[in-house]
Amino acid sequence: MDVQLKLAAEKISKAYDKNSVLRQVSFDVRDGEFFSILGSSGCGKTTLLQILIGLLDADDGKIFKDGTDITNLEPARRGMGIVFQNYALFDNMTVFKNVSYALKFHGVDDDSAQKKSARMLDIVGLKNFSSKMPAELSGGQQQRVAIARALALEPDIILFDEPLSALDASTRLDIRRELKNIQRTLGTTMIYVTHDQEEAFALSDRVMILNRGVVSQIGSPEEIISSPANDYVQSFVVDNLQTKIDSLRRFEKQCGMRNLK
Amino acid sequence: MRNDNRVTIPNSKFLIPNCFLVTVTIIFCVGVFLPLGSLFMRITPESFSQVVNSPQFSAAVWNSVSTAFVATIISMILGLAAALSLERTNLRGKNFFAVIFGAPMLIPSISHSFGLVALFGANGWLTNIFRLDINIYGTIGIIAGSVMYAFPVAFFIFLSVLRCEDGSPYLAAEVLGVPKIRRFIDLTLPYLRRTIISTFFAIFSMIVTDYGVPLMIGGKTITLSVLMYNKAVSMMDYASGSVLGVILIVPALIAFVADILNPPPKQNVFAKNISLVEKNSSHVVKIFCVMLSLLIVAPLITFCVMTFATKYPVDMNFTLYHVTRTIHRGALDNWLNSLIIAVVSAIIGTIFSFALAYFSTRVNGLAAKVVHLLSILPMTIPGIALGLGYVIFFHDAPIYGTLIILTAVNVMHFFSSPYLMMRNTLEKISANVEAVGKVLGVPRRFIIRDVILPKVRFTLCEMFAYFFVNAMMTISAVSYLAPPAPKPLALMITQFEAQRLMESAAAVSIVILLTNLALKILLTRLEKKFAR
Repeated sequence: MDVQLKLAAEKISKAYDKNSVLRQVSFDVRDGEFFSILGSSGCGKTTLLQILIGLLDADDGKIFKDGTDITNLEPARRGMGIVFQNYALFDNMTVFKNVSYALKFHGVDDDSAQKKSARMLDIVGLKNFSSKMPAELSGGQQQRVAIARALALEPDIILFDEPLSALDASTRLDIRRELKNIQRTLGTTMIYVTHDQEEAFALSDRVMILNRGVVSQIGSPEEIISSPANDYVQSFVVDNLQTKIDSLRRFEKQCGMRNLK
Repeated sequence: MRNDNRVTIPNSKFLIPNCFLVTVTIIFCVGVFLPLGSLFMRITPESFSQVVNSPQFSAAVWNSVSTAFVATIISMILGLAAALSLERTNLRGKNFFAVIFGAPMLIPSISHSFGLVALFGANGWLTNIFRLDINIYGTIGIIAGSVMYAFPVAFFIFLSVLRCEDGSPYLAAEVLGVPKIRRFIDLTLPYLRRTIISTFFAIFSMIVTDYGVPLMIGGKTITLSVLMYNKAVSMMDYASGSVLGVILIVPALIAFVADILNPPPKQNVFAKNISLVEKNSSHVVKIFCVMLSLLIVAPLITFCVMTFATKYPVDMNFTLYHVTRTIHRGALDNWLNSLIIAVVSAIIGTIFSFALAYFSTRVNGLAAKVVHLLSILPMTIPGIALGLGYVIFFHDAPIYGTLIILTAVNVMHFFSSPYLMMRNTLEKISANVEAVGKVLGVPRRFIIRDVILPKVRFTLCEMFAYFFVNAMMTISAVSYLAPPAPKPLALMITQFEAQRLMESAAAVSIVILLTNLALKILLTRLEKKFAR
């Protein structure tokens, strides 16, 4: 199968005051892929994300998109969108304005902007919330607005910085499902930063595990579980998931026994 | 969950921060450091030893330190008690009391001592009614006037800090059966420890450097600030004035260092889930608040009575004579001067402090730290020292003797507090907002206009009010500059007092109070409109 590369990072390094955060990080992301960057807090995953989108300069290394070097390109010209954990909505604007606001800076006329924003809100299931203010929405709904806002400019890659960490369990599941739908419908490549193993494994086509600024392993969830590259991957991912599965099994068993009684 | 969500914005990409830094540094050099430097330059070893070895000096140091110390303690106790009454009990009419307790902040310090004279002086109405035999002129008067002056500051500081306290430890203590008084000693006081220390130094230096109160009511008790005023304003002895001005920087410098050594703890994001308001308020609280309000309102009412009575306190028939006389002596023109100074310095000051607060919170690296340090330094310079520095430094400049220099000195003198207000607000807005703007291709100026400014509009109003009210009532920084510059209204109080025209001094105090009150009401209306 001919796999088309969407994004390539080559030997990205970054240090803060001689404190090395990223060391020679290299990886590829395929077109239309759901790619997760998984690691515990402080492993450098957010720094990496900010370098990919151009909010932060790397000390060393290059980034290519569709084969073109974009290392020194401004964030807005990289054709990427971003969704933050804390939503970062413009909370003095309505939901609709949040989504349509940036379009006028890209020469989109009012009529098209209206149509486009309405469509994006429809995609994230907020068609009827256009005139609400962000403060009137739940956390999950606010995050959906942030996603619609990122989608409005039709980026071919969207980056997510722990977008679901502040939400409750059932909302997390809902939005996960929607993200997968969006990825399928629009074919957008998604790069997803998280510390949650289960989330990364449930959503992703491939996962990159980052430990203290160094890539531990890149592979599909099945590959990582069947052959973890080192002890860190074994304990941080595989064992951790195993513990969760075990406890679920135990719970299932207990319920089953109770039902028998 | 990660705590730090801030996106680092590369220095090189932000509005050419180095140019900004250079501009700001030049403004602060011209507006603060060079005038202050020329104050220092005036000091010679001879003038220093002459001032320090004079018999007046040691007496003035003792008078200043002792009165300021006692007044600081009293105003802090009253401020804390008033704040606790409003924040921790279900007292009725809290808003009303808050307005009354804040009212003394709207009149010049000199009006406070003037009010005491009107109440307890030789011809004061309380003296007459109760046949009191107290000598208000001197230490007691200075302490009482300074308490009136400093009380609202302490009150508002404690009020805002108490408002943020988390209620859960109190609930736990109550469940465990810890008595109320122990809860206060073991929970409230440790929580307030930092505030108490920094407020003590801030209020102490505020009182020590104020000359309005002791000038009018001090009698033969001369304080350092009055000594400086006498030397520099009355005798034009700038050498001695400079020595005293530099000495008066010391308490503010100590306050500044104490604040730096005593940094605020990280805010608890989960705070304030449980209300700390008691279900009832005791009679003691009610009586305390009513008594305090009466004490605050009494001088203000007396000012009104004095303004419109034929001869207070003997002939109380209504007259407009004092009002017309006050206007004839130029009060209307000076009121206009003050209004222009207050409005212009509020506009420039608000824009300037917003720009610096935005820069220092949104840029990483050394430039932001330098801007922050520059912005908080004016806090350490008393108005009388800065004012004298301006006289010496700008004496031959074309702006000398104009409203421009009065506006400039007000902006620089009152800069730090509004800057800190804005910084505090901006720190609460995630820098991800700007990051999103960058990714979406929205230029930063539009993000500032469309997102940041609407978010900080309440703080902008507060900053505007701070500059306006202070410019309207200050006498410290401007006393050396006018004349030759057009006179601000507040300085007429000193003038009328010297001419023994008490009714006119009262009228001026009332006009200043009403002007500030009008602005406050206007801004409150605006804020309500914003909130809709």
